Amino acid sequence: MAKQWTCVEAGCDATITAPDADAAIELAQAHIAEVHDSFELEDMIEAVLVDVTA
Amino acid sequence: MTSDVESKFHFSRALVEGEIYRKYEKAMRKHWTVEDLDFAQDALDWHRISPEQQKGLLGITIRFLAGEQAVTDELVPMLAAAHALRRFDWTMFLATFLVEEAKHAEFFMRWHEAVVGIVDPAEVAPHFLTRGKTIDPTGRFEVRDVMHEALPSYGRILHEAALGGTEREIERAFVQFSAAYNGFVEGVLTMPSYEIVIDTTTQWDAFPTLKQGFKLILADEGRHITFGTSACRLLIEKDPSYEEAVHEVFDAYRGNIVGLVEYQKAVPGLDVGKYQTMKVRHYRNRCREMGVKPDDTLIEQILDPSIDFVVGVEAG
Repeated sequence: MAKQWTCVEAGCDATITAPDADAAIELAQAHIAEVHDSFELEDMIEAVLVDVTA
Repeated sequence: MTSDVESKFHFSRALVEGEIYRKYEKAMRKHWTVEDLDFAQDALDWHRISPEQQKGLLGITIRFLAGEQAVTDELVPMLAAAHALRRFDWTMFLATFLVEEAKHAEFFMRWHEAVVGIVDPAEVAPHFLTRGKTIDPTGRFEVRDVMHEALPSYGRILHEAALGGTEREIERAFVQFSAAYNGFVEGVLTMPSYEIVIDTTTQWDAFPTLKQGFKLILADEGRHITFGTSACRLLIEKDPSYEEAVHEVFDAYRGNIVGLVEYQKAVPGLDVGKYQTMKVRHYRNRCREMGVKPDDTLIEQILDPSIDFVVGVEAG
């Protein structure tokens, strides 16, 4: 089952879909760093991942 | 007789496969020690920066030194509640949580000893950024002492419930305490403070071990925060009326969260707006993790540039 993460930074609703949790965490952390000059912890990303059909 | 004997054992396949037990396993795998850190470069950097920079940085680190000691001290009610609710996986995870908070306090004690040369209360206290009562000039918000008022107060309610309350009373008090401790203090209020220190050390190209320590501590905090929010979600799924307890906590301390974190103005050159926007992200995430609806008025107020009074924050 693929994993989806949605950014909830004010004014951003970017959605990332990845084949597994590790890949989703990596992509989400890259998004937060590049777009918002910030960081997000892996446990926090993992806690809100949603199962989606690839 | 069989059930009496069975009650002596807590492990089950479901427990071991559950999300809280997996957090316990991760905490054990990710263990680090303060002894392994080398403070030599930080000590050299301390003498390289200006007195103004020293004052600004110490204002932040001293508050972390106090804050980490406070959160270590305030965790016992959660352990008592986990025991009363017969949630052995929570007790196991909380054992790692407690030792990690103690370790974070140790990190700040060792950093101040090795880098600044201060340890005893009489040595560190003069550097504590004391702020008189913050007054919102518009009179709309009251700023309260979340660390020394909310946590002990909600902790006392939880401890008393754990000792003699009904299951519902313990569960509701757990949600209230966890919303304050993991959701509000650790999960929203403190997050910009960590990032401010990391941004500052990056901007100054100094204090590599302080930065390393903050990153190690943050990884631990990510588990602590999501333990609390996961536990709240499990309890709220069981009884949706507990959601009200989360909103009551955030509403009671609304002034602390809509104001600016003191450090945002203590270190020159930082982007003040970035840390307010970040608070909204963390608030929305904590709500998402707990399965509760965010309060849109709180979000609007955090982002309102006209609300710019400064709030002293003890982080932990």
